[in-house]
Amino acid sequence: MTLHPRESRYGRPEFLRRSAAGLVGLSSLSTLLAACGGSNNAEFTPPELKLASPDNPVTQPLFDDNPAIASGLDPENGTLRIYNWNGYLDPKIKKGFAKEYGVKVEETFFNTTDEAVQKISSGAIDYDVFFPTEDRVGRLILGKRLQPLNLDYVPNLKNVWPSFQDPWYDKGSRYTVPYMTWTTGIGYRADKIQKTPLDYANPYEIYWDEANRGKTYLLDDSRDAPAHMLLKNGITNINTEDPKDIALAKNELKSLIGAVNIKLSTDDYTNVPEGKAWVHQMWSGSAVSAQWYLPEGLGTDALGYWFPADGHGTIGSDMMAIPKNAKNPVLAHHFLNYLLDNKNGYSNFTNYVGYQPPLKSLDPDKLVSDGVVPPSLKTAIVRESDFDRGFAITELTPTGQADWLNAWAEFKAGV
Amino acid sequence: MSEPKRGVKADRAGDGFWAGLALPGVVWLCVFFLLPFYVVLCVALGSVDPILLTPRPEWNPLEWNTSAFEFVFDGLFTPGAAFETVFVRTFFYVAIATTLSLLIAYPVAYYVARYGGRWKGLLLMGLIAPFFISYLMRMLAWINLLQDDGWVNKVLIWLGILDAPHNWLDGRASSVILGLVYGYVPFMILPLYAFLDRIDRRLLEAARDLGASPFEAFRMVTLPLSMPAILAGIAIIALPMFGDYYTPDLLSGAPQTSLIGNQINLYIRGGQQEPVGAALVVALMLFLTVLMGYYLYATVRSQRRLGG
Amino acid sequence: MGRFRGWFANPWGKPRFLILYTALYLVWSIVPILIAIRFSFNEGRSRSTAQGWSLRWYTGDPDLSVLHDSELSSALLQSLRLAAIAVLVTVPLGLALAVGLTRWRGRGAGTSRGISLATLVTPEIVMGTALLLVFIHLLTFVPLGTPAQAIGHITFSLVFVVLIVRGRLLAIGPEYEEAARDLGASRLQALRLALLPMLVPAIVASAIIVFAISMDDFVISAFLSSGTSTDTVPVRIYATGRTAPTPALNALATITLALTIVIAAVGFVLWRGVRAARGQTGSTVGEFAATEGL
Repeated sequence: MTLHPRESRYGRPEFLRRSAAGLVGLSSLSTLLAACGGSNNAEFTPPELKLASPDNPVTQPLFDDNPAIASGLDPENGTLRIYNWNGYLDPKIKKGFAKEYGVKVEETFFNTTDEAVQKISSGAIDYDVFFPTEDRVGRLILGKRLQPLNLDYVPNLKNVWPSFQDPWYDKGSRYTVPYMTWTTGIGYRADKIQKTPLDYANPYEIYWDEANRGKTYLLDDSRDAPAHMLLKNGITNINTEDPKDIALAKNELKSLIGAVNIKLSTDDYTNVPEGKAWVHQMWSGSAVSAQWYLPEGLGTDALGYWFPADGHGTIGSDMMAIPKNAKNPVLAHHFLNYLLDNKNGYSNFTNYVGYQPPLKSLDPDKLVSDGVVPPSLKTAIVRESDFDRGFAITELTPTGQADWLNAWAEFKAGV
Repeated sequence: MSEPKRGVKADRAGDGFWAGLALPGVVWLCVFFLLPFYVVLCVALGSVDPILLTPRPEWNPLEWNTSAFEFVFDGLFTPGAAFETVFVRTFFYVAIATTLSLLIAYPVAYYVARYGGRWKGLLLMGLIAPFFISYLMRMLAWINLLQDDGWVNKVLIWLGILDAPHNWLDGRASSVILGLVYGYVPFMILPLYAFLDRIDRRLLEAARDLGASPFEAFRMVTLPLSMPAILAGIAIIALPMFGDYYTPDLLSGAPQTSLIGNQINLYIRGGQQEPVGAALVVALMLFLTVLMGYYLYATVRSQRRLGG
Repeated sequence: MGRFRGWFANPWGKPRFLILYTALYLVWSIVPILIAIRFSFNEGRSRSTAQGWSLRWYTGDPDLSVLHDSELSSALLQSLRLAAIAVLVTVPLGLALAVGLTRWRGRGAGTSRGISLATLVTPEIVMGTALLLVFIHLLTFVPLGTPAQAIGHITFSLVFVVLIVRGRLLAIGPEYEEAARDLGASRLQALRLALLPMLVPAIVASAIIVFAISMDDFVISAFLSSGTSTDTVPVRIYATGRTAPTPALNALATITLALTIVIAAVGFVLWRGVRAARGQTGSTVGEFAATEGL
């Protein structure tokens, strides 16, 4: 049966006219919405946000309406809910904790810090343990999204490097305890590339090596990737907000598109061993764990990692914290303590994660001889002294944040 | 939609009953479809909490802050700016992918509709199958084949066309466009088939009887009659394609193939500038509404030309 | 396009070119899936080199198989859960909406029809963004995760139910209800006893479509997820597909495909039974494609 020509099946032109009218009508709902609209943003007059940096250590404020839990409480019986990066916590650790405390442990993963911070900031979900990075923690504390710690429950904090027991981003460890440390260097497939970073006068130039076209990766991180561009040009303040520096970093990034078809990823620990990437901006922990993802027949000397010998490169650390609306805060404190135990921290590092915890008992000089880190990757080992010379990524002002994000978005637009 | 042409008297007395029946659905859509758009608007026209850098939607139109929109429209209409480049690129990818899809879908639908015969059921099952296979699984299957050690390279080397494995996933536009075609073409075939199936053969017979060659019969009868279906098929796949961001992510991962969906994703989920992301969403919807308007106009016009 | 016709003289005869074209299309469309299914049964870890046959990735491997890897099995359960909720809510809601919209003549009817169709042309990223923002800033009593995702699925698939049922209604026409009313039935009774049974094929087709759409949905499920525990199968595929996936991913996708086919087949058989009971002839598949093609 033929369709009658008048039979239109997909809506009238009037639809557009009427929906425009409808939208105007909707705006009159504003008063109603303002009355009942729920906003999860904190409504308070905040003390001025102090931007922490190694030169400017900050003692985080304590608030009356966000008290720490009392001492001497028993751990709860509920399910411990952890919010973490993927592949960043050994399942055996989770099982061990679950057995010791007779509880269940559930881990949820986020893909980017931005995504995690957004969800935690919105208060839309509640977790017991969270793993923020140093450049986000100040805002979360000021926004009362994290609860202060009661260190009576975390005696193992004394196992940590002294400089990290009283870190610049949270003096006195009021809200956080350290988790992992790393450096951000350049990882590569020694068996595939023709020139290593050391073959260049300016090692960062290896990103532009046309021989690795289509196989060069940067980290898909709006602060880490530009940092290497700044360091390539000798700018050591990787937290600069100077528009000229931001523009410089942006243009350097853009030049990589044409030069080598640059790609972005945070799966460095598989891209390099799998051969997807021959040169990859890499976190040191990923370099160490990459040895566990090598395909059959490929040895660890196929992997390489470069970091400036003078220590003037990007370093970082992250921490564990307890969100304010955690359902099992006492249990969470015990979990933090559990991870800071020397044995647990070491096995977490060597069995699964590859990132190094800042534990005093961990001797960096023995890691190669103990077979934890292969000889070809010994530059990926982190030492406490590195933090005196390296550059950490710190918080920015809202304008700086916006400027960097816009520059990053422009680069990602492939202009 | 038009009323059925069966000489029926409208049941106006029962309007309350019918409206009442439709009410739950309409209310649902108002709350969970229209209202969210207003929230998007308010976020785009709102501000950003200075501490947590989360967006603060502004419900009161009198206090709307247009800076995010200014930023977005500035970027959209300045040649060479980021948003403009991405938008133009998206438009071209969608246009090319839609055209390729049409060139693939139409003959297949035509064949099954006209010459299916005994095999029609089986062929139709083959055409329907992609609906039941997750889009991502189909994409994943293709990625698997396109990898350095995948079958595409293996076959091409075996055939002697290539000497060494070609890196198809290195961020080239053709991989992304073909990925879009692969993903969306099934959605165009079925509507086309349904329509072509219903075209009266007698019209074509009449044309042949009047002396038209097969080609002329096709060009002057079948093609114009299938115009509404072609337009519908284009609308069904092009409009959602504008929002696609995961296809370039999976098949490329490089900035030079990123689409407007990727920029939206970056601003909404990735950063602390959600108002800009919301403004981008509004801009996209405005553009799509314009396209939708053009589609409706073209449909009505093509139906008029059919002498209706 | 006219060139195709030039390849043969008789338009009613066998069009060799079109046959080849269609065959190539079907191969291009389906063979990659078959290959992926093949590798889900691989003995080794590779997803591109044939390494024997086993059920390792389905049940065997104690850590990485779908049965034992909690990420994968929870994704499967979440997909099924959301699909079930979507079907149970969307089909009745869409049915009522479609029937009401078709018969409603008064003021507001046209606008309502327009609103019902608007989701069809809205890209998922727009809907995902809008829903995420509304649940975070306004309707905060709806937590992210299953409730939010379910609402998203329902909202997105509603239009398909409406289109399928409306198409059927327009073809049926109002005579049966009118006859029932002439015999003294109330509107509701006419609807229930005369119209509804005739709509069964459309209802079944809608249920199948909603199920498939819900299982396939990626963007909305990803945006409204509260974390890994509420990720669905497509979200898991996307997340792990880019790193070092094992064939367990293929296994997960194959299981999902099998389930969707089973549901569709069940619905199909039901439909065929209903049609046979009514003495209707013709290709069931054809009729299904016609309603699906709208």
